[in-house]
Amino acid sequence: MAATLLFVSLLVFVVVRVLPGDPAILMLGIDASPETVARLRASMGLDRPLPVQYVEWIGGAIRGNLGRSIQYDVPVAGLIVSRLSVTLPLTLMAAALMVFAAIPLGVYAATRHRRLGDYLTMTLSQLGIAVPAFWAGLLLVLLFSVRLGWFASGGFDGWGQGVGGALKSLLLPAIALGLFQFAVLARTTRSAVLEVLREEYVKTARAKGLSERLVLFRHALRNAMIPVLTVAGVQLGQLMAGSIILESVFYLPGLGRLALGAITSRDLPVVQGVVLFVASVIVVINAAVDVLYGLLDPRIRYE
Amino acid sequence: MTMLRALALALLALMTAAGPAAAQGALAVQVPAEPPGLDLTASPASAIAAVVHYNVQECLVKVDKNGKLVPWLAERWYTTDSKNYTFFLKKGVRFHNGREMKAADVKFVLERAANPETKHPFQKRYEIIRDIIIKDDYTVSVTLKEVNANFLLEMARQGSVIYPREAVDTLKSAPLGTGPFTVADWVRGDRIVLAKNKDYHVKGLPHLDKVTFRFIPDPNSALAALKSGDIDVSAFGLGPENVVDLKRDPRFQVILGDTTNDVILAMNNSKKPYSDKRVRLAVTHAINKEEVLKGAMFGLGRILGSNVDPLNPYFVDMSKAVPYDPAKARKLLAEAGYPNGFDAVLRVSPQYYYTVRTGEVLVSQLAKVGIKVKIEQIEWGQWLSQVWKEANYDLTIIGHAEPWDIVNYANPGYYFRWDNKEFQALYRESEQTVDDKKRREQFARLQKMMADEAPVVWLYMHPRLVVAKKGVTGIWKDLPISSLDLTEVAWQK
Repeated sequence: MAATLLFVSLLVFVVVRVLPGDPAILMLGIDASPETVARLRASMGLDRPLPVQYVEWIGGAIRGNLGRSIQYDVPVAGLIVSRLSVTLPLTLMAAALMVFAAIPLGVYAATRHRRLGDYLTMTLSQLGIAVPAFWAGLLLVLLFSVRLGWFASGGFDGWGQGVGGALKSLLLPAIALGLFQFAVLARTTRSAVLEVLREEYVKTARAKGLSERLVLFRHALRNAMIPVLTVAGVQLGQLMAGSIILESVFYLPGLGRLALGAITSRDLPVVQGVVLFVASVIVVINAAVDVLYGLLDPRIRYE
Repeated sequence: MTMLRALALALLALMTAAGPAAAQGALAVQVPAEPPGLDLTASPASAIAAVVHYNVQECLVKVDKNGKLVPWLAERWYTTDSKNYTFFLKKGVRFHNGREMKAADVKFVLERAANPETKHPFQKRYEIIRDIIIKDDYTVSVTLKEVNANFLLEMARQGSVIYPREAVDTLKSAPLGTGPFTVADWVRGDRIVLAKNKDYHVKGLPHLDKVTFRFIPDPNSALAALKSGDIDVSAFGLGPENVVDLKRDPRFQVILGDTTNDVILAMNNSKKPYSDKRVRLAVTHAINKEEVLKGAMFGLGRILGSNVDPLNPYFVDMSKAVPYDPAKARKLLAEAGYPNGFDAVLRVSPQYYYTVRTGEVLVSQLAKVGIKVKIEQIEWGQWLSQVWKEANYDLTIIGHAEPWDIVNYANPGYYFRWDNKEFQALYRESEQTVDDKKRREQFARLQKMMADEAPVVWLYMHPRLVVAKKGVTGIWKDLPISSLDLTEVAWQK
């Protein structure tokens, strides 16, 4: 895990510095004098040798100090934490919507295999996979915000203004964000349930005279959930990374927009910090999923 | 089905959660970028000027909505030679912390700007100040090292805002000034809120109680926010393509005006074939600027013939000086040794999408005279590095928004790499000319020189585009200076 993160840190550090684009010129604009630009570069510490800059950065990062933002002149760690108050609830909401919609739908499709219910569900999930998230977002805004006026077109007033209002501003973006993963999870659930329903012990349970409902809920689902939950866990990380586009459509002050803005203005400490942070989160989630898998499936535990 | 019912109830509860009600006297403005700090003495970013300049902080002199220099914090000034200035400050002007503005504050601000340690973005422009003497609390005299015709204008620009010397540390997050609004709140990433300054030194102003700047970078999101009523004004970031259908919407007004943003096709004068004046003139003759305006800007904007824009008092209309004449273009190219034209790469940055659209129109026009142009879209940071800093380009398109930026053409190191000694000498002379009539004549000659030598092709002035709800009054039609002056903005009763 540490090796992965070290590799990621090295990669992002090199990539942002190899990219053309000088943060000092970006800050000062096209009417700046070369002396002012040089002075600003020096004050940013950008004219020191690269290995020195890297060691200084990674040394601080291990202790939780990710440097200072060039643009905002505030600690990067603080910026990330403040943006998390938007991205984390957004990701969790999208994940919740995804799970509570996809799993029942997938189970339903599996039980209606090769009948109308199955085909309708699969068409729906196909749409979810095909529609790009930002377009879905724009469509949701056009309908629910511009046309109906039920929701704001974007923005986030903060948790201080009340939990209800805050959740409301995250609802449409969460739906758009979760759409693709919802479709994928629905299909995964359907396949997992179908496979389990073909197993010998299910046939035995049916032969014993158990109702289809009992077969499903007491025997099949518990085993089907193992692969489903592990996929859902991995998708959680992907949701977090995928928020970058939707936060722009809904102008939410989240982590994704912070990263996008930082890349455009070459705010190197912020880009490095955000990438390292998101990579860490995904690594941790994947490790947790591995553990979960072992807990759920006794066969793995005893290997 | 209790779970479904619960879900439906929850949804209903969420939908009825009330949002903040629009208060009378409140205005929500969209800006495309969050300012990197609010310190006008640390960064030249126009995103800062849009929020702070003339709203929160003010200058001794002001550029008004017609582009005229008018007295502001200095109620009058006195000079005979444009080298020694005496400013008489308005009495009873209070900073937002309650303290009265005095001459000592002016001296502090100007000396701090000139000090290299401060890293003021326009520090060089203050080096011309030799001495600042406080005559009394409301009188300050400034002596320059040499005559400078631009000095008063410099005192009106965003780098010269007057702030209390005890508030230097808060300039970045909550700047204090003398302006009609104070900074009430800054929710990072989302919005900045300004509140009315009840002690403003101009009685009866401002009209608004509260202004909220929302950062909405995507023009489609800005449009949606406008149409759903989440914002009242979109001041920057909408292009002519967005404005077309808003014009027909009875809820909105579209304000169309002039700016100081001249959009140019720059040619690399240090590189063949652009080092040859005949080639540069040929490129200019090959371009039909009317078609460019129609095709790239939906007909909005004004055609230019030199760098000086219509809002400048010395503007001379040079747009017909080098007219559209493809036959002449081909003749000039042949004379210069390119009878079959040549290949060129045009680099543009989609961050400023009008440059991409403009490029697409130009490609077909230039092809007709044999110049085969390939468009290369590069990211903004790359453009700054490769085109602006290293002059690694053939052709590029960009808008130069700064007023009075003719000085860039007198700089042989600027990315055009145009080195014309006669132009440089005449420009330097004009900087030291005190007599307005003589300066006007010099500027006329400078503009003719630019048209004759054609270091770049001046295409058009980018229009000022503001969309606001009907009922909002007082927004400037033109943009003679980088500011979103809200002093006189109000809701019609």
